[in-house]
Amino acid sequence: MRNTYGERDSGDVVLSVPVERFTLDNGLRVNLSHDHSTSVVAINLWYAVGSRNELPGKTGFAHLFEHMMFQGSANVPKNRHFELVERAGGTLNATTWFDRTNYFQTVPSHHLEMALWLESDRMGWMLPAMTQEKLDNQRDVVINEKKQRYDNQPYGDWDEWIQAMVYPKDHPYSHTVIGSMEDIESATLEDVKDFFETFYVPNNAVLTVCGDFNRDEALDMIDKHFGEIPRGDEIPPIPGELKLDHIIGSTVREQIEADVPLPRVLMAFRIPPYANPDFYIANVAGTVAGSGRASRLYRSLVCEHKIAKDVISHTLPLMTGAGMFLVWATGFSGSNPSELEEALALELEGLESVTEDEIQRAVAITETSLIREIQRVEERADVISMFDQFFDDPSRLNSELERIRAVTPVQVSKFTNEFLGPNNRAVLTYIPKT
Amino acid sequence: MSQTQRLSVPAPGAIRRFDFPPVQIDHFNNGLKLLSVQTHRLPIVTVGLVLDAGEATLDEDKAGLAVLTGDSLEGGTTARSRDGLAEAMESIGAHLSVRTGWDSTIISLSCLPERLEEALNILAEVALSPNFPADEVDRIRKQHLAGIQQRNMDPSAMATEAFHRLIYAEGVPYGRPLGGSVESAAPFNQDAAMGFVKTRYNPGNAGLVVVGDVDLDDTNSLAKSCLGDWQGRPITKKPFDPEPRFRERKVVIIDRPGAVQSEIRIGHVGQPRSTSDYFPLVILNTILGGSFTSRLNLNLRERHGFTYGVRSGFAFRRDAGPWTISTSVGTHVTADAVREALKELDVLISAGPTEEELAASRDYISGVFPLRFETTNQIASQISEIIIYNLPNDYHTTYRDQIRNVNYEQVMDAVQRCIRPDEITVLVVGDAKTIRNPIENLGSVPVEVRDSI
Repeated sequence: MRNTYGERDSGDVVLSVPVERFTLDNGLRVNLSHDHSTSVVAINLWYAVGSRNELPGKTGFAHLFEHMMFQGSANVPKNRHFELVERAGGTLNATTWFDRTNYFQTVPSHHLEMALWLESDRMGWMLPAMTQEKLDNQRDVVINEKKQRYDNQPYGDWDEWIQAMVYPKDHPYSHTVIGSMEDIESATLEDVKDFFETFYVPNNAVLTVCGDFNRDEALDMIDKHFGEIPRGDEIPPIPGELKLDHIIGSTVREQIEADVPLPRVLMAFRIPPYANPDFYIANVAGTVAGSGRASRLYRSLVCEHKIAKDVISHTLPLMTGAGMFLVWATGFSGSNPSELEEALALELEGLESVTEDEIQRAVAITETSLIREIQRVEERADVISMFDQFFDDPSRLNSELERIRAVTPVQVSKFTNEFLGPNNRAVLTYIPKT
Repeated sequence: MSQTQRLSVPAPGAIRRFDFPPVQIDHFNNGLKLLSVQTHRLPIVTVGLVLDAGEATLDEDKAGLAVLTGDSLEGGTTARSRDGLAEAMESIGAHLSVRTGWDSTIISLSCLPERLEEALNILAEVALSPNFPADEVDRIRKQHLAGIQQRNMDPSAMATEAFHRLIYAEGVPYGRPLGGSVESAAPFNQDAAMGFVKTRYNPGNAGLVVVGDVDLDDTNSLAKSCLGDWQGRPITKKPFDPEPRFRERKVVIIDRPGAVQSEIRIGHVGQPRSTSDYFPLVILNTILGGSFTSRLNLNLRERHGFTYGVRSGFAFRRDAGPWTISTSVGTHVTADAVREALKELDVLISAGPTEEELAASRDYISGVFPLRFETTNQIASQISEIIIYNLPNDYHTTYRDQIRNVNYEQVMDAVQRCIRPDEITVLVVGDAKTIRNPIENLGSVPVEVRDSI
């Protein structure tokens, strides 16, 4: 008995997700990845535009624009997109991030053409449907999103602080994806038009279709619906100063008294961007540090010293100049935040002595979590689009585990010395308001 | 293709067959059921032990015991220390997951299929021979108490908790937070954890779920060797009456001075999972607030921009869980949002859904159903419900037909039986100074303002 997309090579799982790539004349990159095990199909579009492309005074606009993409297009009245997909028994959504905006729908296979038609209509003919009323409505929705998810949440403004501390003021990652409300409020229909014409063009997008479909039929549909959308101009360079030192250069600190229940210390580091092979070392280091109950931070801060209620680690795969490695620890009422900070620093610096066993566990955890993630066609389509857009190599998913497995203790040790020391640290401390 | 050709929606192609993966059910002599499903897409397997050990049957002064016991399982076993256990798990790429709900405790993990034997051994060890070292139990208890402190400052969690307390009569378990209170969690210790495992973790009402790229015969013999000798008898549980607190309409504001948004909860005690109105209620809820194109969301979000989103839902549990409309809205539009939500509800329950809405929601619910069966985790959690709620073995294969058969009369009958517009509680957590008068102006029901739950 053999599984479909994973084989064994001397004990290791080798992924073999099929990907066929085409490029239309207008520059749209198309990836087809078949999987006939379930009669569903995922349609995924990555536009190479995110908060990094926003000009000063226009922060948050990439995300507001994402909302506008659901407000209809020339042949699709407002709400119709959602109605059609839900009626078909499908799901849909979109997210905006630093380097990209992704749109995804999953529908029963026989509705593939409808989903492609919907995506093509807004890629090609969104502007005729735009009105001031729709913009005003979605601006209110986004302002409520910010209030609900950031302003009205304990610690909700952490990313605003951390990004400004880790990246220089003129770097595109120094502002958040949700942006400033003043900027959002000043957005105009003219901004919507400019943004659409600049970034929502086929030569700035990747389309991935993953799941149960007939290859030739799918290609015909894609050509029919996307083929006539004209290529756009060259994409303007990312604004701001993209070059930055590989480390922060010092320990930068902020301490804020806020409406939070418990003290929390966040510690962030500038690390190599995702495109740099060293990113995988950071990724493994992050897993050893904070993923799971055998990880160093959990074991030390939560279990042995019992000074933290919880610990988190994230390695952010960012593309522009530098990525970010982030950990945080939440203390208990009355606990001393500098004790938390010292413990975080000590454990991270201690990764210099990482063991072979720890690396093996980190690799095993990463392996399981990647395989779990790509079980869903929606996620698989998303990572294929990502690898195409970031690396010009949609099949890179199949070799991702090899890059993780290649990381050695010596590399993690060297990485620790180079990137996790006090010369590369942003420390944000939340203290409960008394 | 010209623009005129683009005008109409492309017609769907031929419908492709969707077959649910067959569930094999085996019964062991000790009462344990094994539910296994073979999938082939990727090299992964999920195993889960479903225990009849939820919070709902605990007395108020023990509330949180099931959650705390589940969380303390990571403390180690008679054979392995806390660190030894964590390392054993993670060296096979797995994380121990323990989820405790009102009706069950589920211990689960995922790993590569060739690690199934190790996974089942560890799982059995965790469930059957935990040793709850005193300092570990104490650590978990302190973390739990700190979690309650965190929840109390999260506006959304706090509103939900307050709403449940409001709608259920004194002493009904569903009226309290799942993890209990500071008072009920404080006495938790090693003995309490041991006692709970002894009485409530037993094979009688339990199920082992295995889903993945594995051979089902091998799975059966592995399961038998790990869990076949497990002994224990299920206890008889005291039933409770999920009685509502109020039999009239109530409007309550909990004051959060200066809040930038108001949390709104509207509803009353709902229905148990076993209700014969289950499928009509699923359809009704989809139309009211269970999808993006629901009446509530199209009104409050897409027409008025009051909110980032609004949802409604029935929490179907062994007994009647809450039925709730929930949203967070800008402070200055709070009364408008309450008015619009109540209006949508009134219109829907008096005139009923349109034929078009009925058709759309039947298609939506039956269409997205297969998307809940893509991953081994999803399949495992779906079939766990067969064990927890005593669903028929063919429940999932007949689900879509059940949904497709729901008609207007059934929905309206369900409304008659299950929605009581005169007994609705409206709770708003927000800045009372700003929102009180506009809410009072909405209607005849007096508004009660409180400083806290």
